[in-house]
Amino acid sequence: MSGYDFDVIQRSWVYLFRDGMTFTLTLTALAMVGGIFFGTLLAMMRLSRFSILSYAAGGYVNLMRSLPLVLVIFWFFFLVPYIGAWAIGAKDPVKVGSFMSCLITFTMFEAAYYCEIMRAGIQSVARGQVWAGYALGLNYWLTMGKIVLPQAFRNMLPVLLTQTVILFQDTSLVYVISATDFLGAAAKVANRDYRLVEMYTFVAVVYFIISFGLSLLVKQLQSRIAIIR
Amino acid sequence: MISIKNISKWYGSFQVLTDCSTEVKKGEVVVVCGPSGSGKSTIIKCVNALEPFQKGEITVDGISVGDPKTDLPKLRSRIGMVFQNFELFPHLSVTENLTLAQIKVLGRTPEAARDKALKLLDRVGLMAHKDKFPGQLSGGQQQRVAIARALSIDPIAMLFDEPTSALDPEMINEVLDVMVQLAQEGMTMMVVTHEMGFAKRVAHRVIFMDAGKIIEDCTKDDFFGTQRSERAQLFLSKILHH
Ligand SMILES: Nc1ncnc2c1ncn2[C@@H]1O[C@H](COP(=O)(O)OP(=O)(O)OP(=O)(O)O)[C@@H](O)[C@H]1O
Ligand SMILES: [Mg+2]
Repeated sequence: MSGYDFDVIQRSWVYLFRDGMTFTLTLTALAMVGGIFFGTLLAMMRLSRFSILSYAAGGYVNLMRSLPLVLVIFWFFFLVPYIGAWAIGAKDPVKVGSFMSCLITFTMFEAAYYCEIMRAGIQSVARGQVWAGYALGLNYWLTMGKIVLPQAFRNMLPVLLTQTVILFQDTSLVYVISATDFLGAAAKVANRDYRLVEMYTFVAVVYFIISFGLSLLVKQLQSRIAIIR
Repeated sequence: MISIKNISKWYGSFQVLTDCSTEVKKGEVVVVCGPSGSGKSTIIKCVNALEPFQKGEITVDGISVGDPKTDLPKLRSRIGMVFQNFELFPHLSVTENLTLAQIKVLGRTPEAARDKALKLLDRVGLMAHKDKFPGQLSGGQQQRVAIARALSIDPIAMLFDEPTSALDPEMINEVLDVMVQLAQEGMTMMVVTHEMGFAKRVAHRVIFMDAGKIIEDCTKDDFFGTQRSERAQLFLSKILHH
């Protein structure tokens, strides 16, 4: 191995983006949607006046936030087939593809973080807004869905997106279960062609450009929201 | 229409309301006044169950508010409420603020709800602002929209909690005018306010509260006459002199 050979990038980028980046971006997008959905439900539970609900949600959130993500990815990868089998009453472990396993893991894991953001968002909406909703005859779900959550969401949009940038970077950890995400695809090429330095540099640059670009976008959004308010 | 019987309420060990009783008949306008912290907001929130109470009974049009079997959203949809800080929904346009409950609670069609909304906006003189957002309106305009929103569900009674005290002085009258008109049309109203001019013009009765108790509950003439208690007198002289 003499000198550097950056041609390897030219030879492999179609594969890297078509297979790897598609996996990474799809996983990020779906886990974000799922994470925000379940995170919002968890936040509503945490703020519920029924203490069983708030303790259950609080316990879940604290557990997830105290575990290293890599461990959760490993565990879910090995456990999900058995949990699935138990759930549908099958004898053999259910076959779950690595993408599905990753999606479930990230949705469950990120839900804990999105929960804390949405909780702050719900609490940022003035108490009087809830009273106004109830006073008009709206029930809990309508008051939440039509009045509180839209405002909570708008107030928290920059933070939610920042969390998504972190999620985007974290998805590279699926590498530990040999999933072919962007990093995984690059690693395969790097090992095959013995071009570790070139490939990992390239991967770093791509992650940097996307993450930095997204955070610039978030900043811009933040100042735009500040003007509206 | 609204009957309050021996209501007591505690926040933890702190008693906010002590054995309060009164009644608002159909078409009657009752003004509630009293010093800050005397429990005026609390008692008015108890009427449509925004605050629970531990003792006594409140009925609205014969339906018990404290009864756990009462369908609270339905009960509340028959009472209009106007808040000190307007509480318009900032993410919805003025028209949407007025149609939301009509569609989601009363089940009206979007067209019918919109017609009603525009009629009400016209009535409070804000037709030109129908597509704006609450944040683009002045305080007085926002409170008039809030009154129109409360009227959009065709309430049998209206509750007001200091509707003008968050407003700049020059905007108070535009809101009071709407309220006076409403009172003259025969709306049943319970109004927490320190605007004694409003009370003198349209109130039938005045309630004076202090430290969680109803100290005075008398006709307007008695209240502004010589019959009132020393405490109410002291309070009145304070608010009338600034
Ligand atoms: N959520 C709460 N927890 C504990 N105490 C409360 C709560 N809300 C109100 N209080 C107390 O209850 C008392 C009555 O409050 P309330 O808001 O009804 O007074 P008010 O007559 O409307 O006063 P103001 O003129 O300032 O609006 C006050 O002493 C207040 O501090
Ligand atoms: Mg008050």
